Amino acid sequence: MTKRLKAAERRASILAVAKVLFADKGYHGVSVDDIATRLGVSPAVLYQHFPSKEALYGAVLNTISEIRESYVEAVLAGPLDFAGVLRRMLRVFIESVARDPDYLRMEMLSVLEGASAAKQFFENRWRSFTDYIEVSLKELSAEGRVSPVNPKTASLMFQGMIREALYEKCIVKSDRYRETDLDALVQQLIDLFLRAIAYQSDKR
Amino acid sequence: MANFDQELDARGLNCPLPILRAKKSINELNAGQVLHVLATDPGSVKDFEAFCKQTGNALLASGESEGTFTFDIRKA
Repeated sequence: MTKRLKAAERRASILAVAKVLFADKGYHGVSVDDIATRLGVSPAVLYQHFPSKEALYGAVLNTISEIRESYVEAVLAGPLDFAGVLRRMLRVFIESVARDPDYLRMEMLSVLEGASAAKQFFENRWRSFTDYIEVSLKELSAEGRVSPVNPKTASLMFQGMIREALYEKCIVKSDRYRETDLDALVQQLIDLFLRAIAYQSDKR
Repeated sequence: MANFDQELDARGLNCPLPILRAKKSINELNAGQVLHVLATDPGSVKDFEAFCKQTGNALLASGESEGTFTFDIRKA
């Protein structure tokens, strides 16, 4: 029992240290030796828990996959209108990113490095939003409740502005936006987005 | 004969759309009626477990065949 607990603790400490290093230097900038050195153990100890650096990287990413369950909660927490669901989902997402901006750094680095597993992972992470917006806009357009827009372009616009806000508030932290907190900034951006697509909340 | 009252085809849709549509479909059912959901998103297995836990509806059965996941949900 004690041994199992120790193994679990060891695994957790490996994941925590690996995450910080991957977020700082990217997948290619970190070796198994680097992680082992930071932990004060031999690389063999790491290989007892993870068969390869790639597997370790995947495990680091998977520690944030539980966010999906929170989207279910967000959907169910209020009215099912397009804007309401979008706001609630986004609140879950930005809270998750703000809590641990290392994953935002990993996302940025994975784009630059072209690491395919990570790229896929982060694409999937945004996909809850892009798919939701694209499918919803097609339906809302058919009902005449948004202006004629290309749903793919609109979802790209949304992703771009939210990602930039997160980047600005969680990574760059410039003085320019200091007086606006992240949640307020994101709510203002959603308002702009809804105005840009001429969203009508009420059925005619 | 199919043992459900309404079917929801959520194939090709990703989280949270299957959940959103299921919620809307269930709102139209009476208590005790069963919604049959088809989905292809592998994450939908956990999503519908969480959905039923949070809404109090009963997940009567779930399965998978050739990449399609099915869920039978009875409205509470």
